[in-house]
Amino acid sequence: MPPTIPKILLVDDEPSITEHLSAFLERAGYAVQCASNGKQALEAVAKNQPELVILDVLMPEMDGRAVLRTLRSEGNHTPVILLTQVGEAGERAMALEEGADDYLNKPFDPRELLARVRAVLRRAQGSPVALSSAWKITSAGLVLDRRARRAALAGNVLTLTPKALSLLEYMMTHPDELITRERLLDAVWGWDYPAGTRAVDTRIAELRRALKDEAEEPQFIETVTGEGYRFRAPVEGER
Amino acid sequence: MRLRIALALLPLALGLAAMIFLQQVLNPIPLLLIKIDFGLLALLTGLVLSAILLAVVLTRRANKRQREYGIARERIKHAEAQRRFLRRLDHELKNPLTGIRAALANLEGAGGTGSTPSAIPDIQHQVERLTRLTAGLRKLADLEEIPLEYTKVNLGELLEETVEAVRAHPSGNGRDLRLVVPSVPWPLPEITADRDLLSLAFFNLIENAMKYSGKQDTVEVRASEQARHVQVEIADTGPGIPPDEIPRLFEELYRGTNARGCEGSGLGLALVRRVVDRHEGTVTVRSRRDGGRGTVFAVTLPVTVQILKSIPTRLSKST
Repeated sequence: MPPTIPKILLVDDEPSITEHLSAFLERAGYAVQCASNGKQALEAVAKNQPELVILDVLMPEMDGRAVLRTLRSEGNHTPVILLTQVGEAGERAMALEEGADDYLNKPFDPRELLARVRAVLRRAQGSPVALSSAWKITSAGLVLDRRARRAALAGNVLTLTPKALSLLEYMMTHPDELITRERLLDAVWGWDYPAGTRAVDTRIAELRRALKDEAEEPQFIETVTGEGYRFRAPVEGER
Repeated sequence: MRLRIALALLPLALGLAAMIFLQQVLNPIPLLLIKIDFGLLALLTGLVLSAILLAVVLTRRANKRQREYGIARERIKHAEAQRRFLRRLDHELKNPLTGIRAALANLEGAGGTGSTPSAIPDIQHQVERLTRLTAGLRKLADLEEIPLEYTKVNLGELLEETVEAVRAHPSGNGRDLRLVVPSVPWPLPEITADRDLLSLAFFNLIENAMKYSGKQDTVEVRASEQARHVQVEIADTGPGIPPDEIPRLFEELYRGTNARGCEGSGLGLALVRRVVDRHEGTVTVRSRRDGGRGTVFAVTLPVTVQILKSIPTRLSKST
């Protein structure tokens, strides 16, 4: 039996984006279908059951976030990557809370999108409960309550700055994945700035102190020398 | 306004009426005899009161006019700044777009024969430039409203990290970059600030100093404490900034004459100013073009910030 080709639904109202991105993703080995607004997207999801949806936020008819909310409220947990446009930190936090599996700020490098697509599809195969739509994520005594914006280790609530908490959230919802400092900057800070990789290191150090995690023998956050970080402990999501 | 002047003149009229009443009705008029009686007293009182009231009314009116004039002038200034910004934005977009169009035309003409090997890297380069520009514009907009994440910041440590980051940057290669942070008799106080934003501001200032001075020039970063404030100076022995450009330096997308030929977004100093403003600090610049030439940017920040209300717990979620 030939291996099945994963189906991707690409939703954006800008034809030049859908045209070139779909060609790019098809060359990478995916079957791509396009939609140009939210309504079409929901119909296409129901009809073709894609393995992954790439969703623009600002669209006519029904915007990307409304599509995502509708899908999740109907119990549909198809992985979704949101393409945000307004680079506001609040929007990114909302994207994760509404159940997006990942998000990218426009304008992005298509190769970066491809990397995320692969990672999201790989993760979707493994876990029974999608971490993206889990309200509570646990990992070896560490509990992250996303609704209450609180993390606790062995029952003790951790004192964390909002950024460190968002960082932990991103790491825990993307476990066992090599995450570069640049990607963390883009995802959690929403900014890329030259000295920014140090800002990431500072927050990771803060997290490690709170988690009593040793950089040399980490239980949770592992440093991948010269590349970035990886959340190595097994993670479970609860709805 | 007329009513007010009439009201101001009322005491005078009343005083006059009182005098006539007192002198005419109660007493016969003595001819050519000046005497202070109650009538005259009433007139004088009325006169003085009216004079005072008139003075008050007129100065108020003058102040109000001046205020209105001030507001109108501010509006005009604001509108001018906006037009300047749009013109500069137009200019910043035009150049990379022209480059892209030229490269595309070459590609099309070559018909894929590979005779224009630089076209694709050139397009990539221009696209990166535009990407940086939009990222910078977004940061500026974000900075207006994002809540700052205040923590205790060890400024010496932060400056050391930032200087290291600049050294690791291409612009810092093989340059004389010094950092002076006091440690005797006491170290700098910890300040309350958003660490990431401060690091961005200092990075921009130090990188600018490197970028706009020559290979042989020195850049010195020095911190000091001044009565509940800390000051960080970023000094270079570069060519200096023409005096007429200094007032415009912190405007968005402004590019001075020194900056021509240097690639940059023109947003770095505008970002610095916003970050410093939001920390209730000040940033100033002094520069000399001859003698001991060079430029010094001085950032002054309060040790503690009053606006504790802006410590965020979580960004508000509107859905």
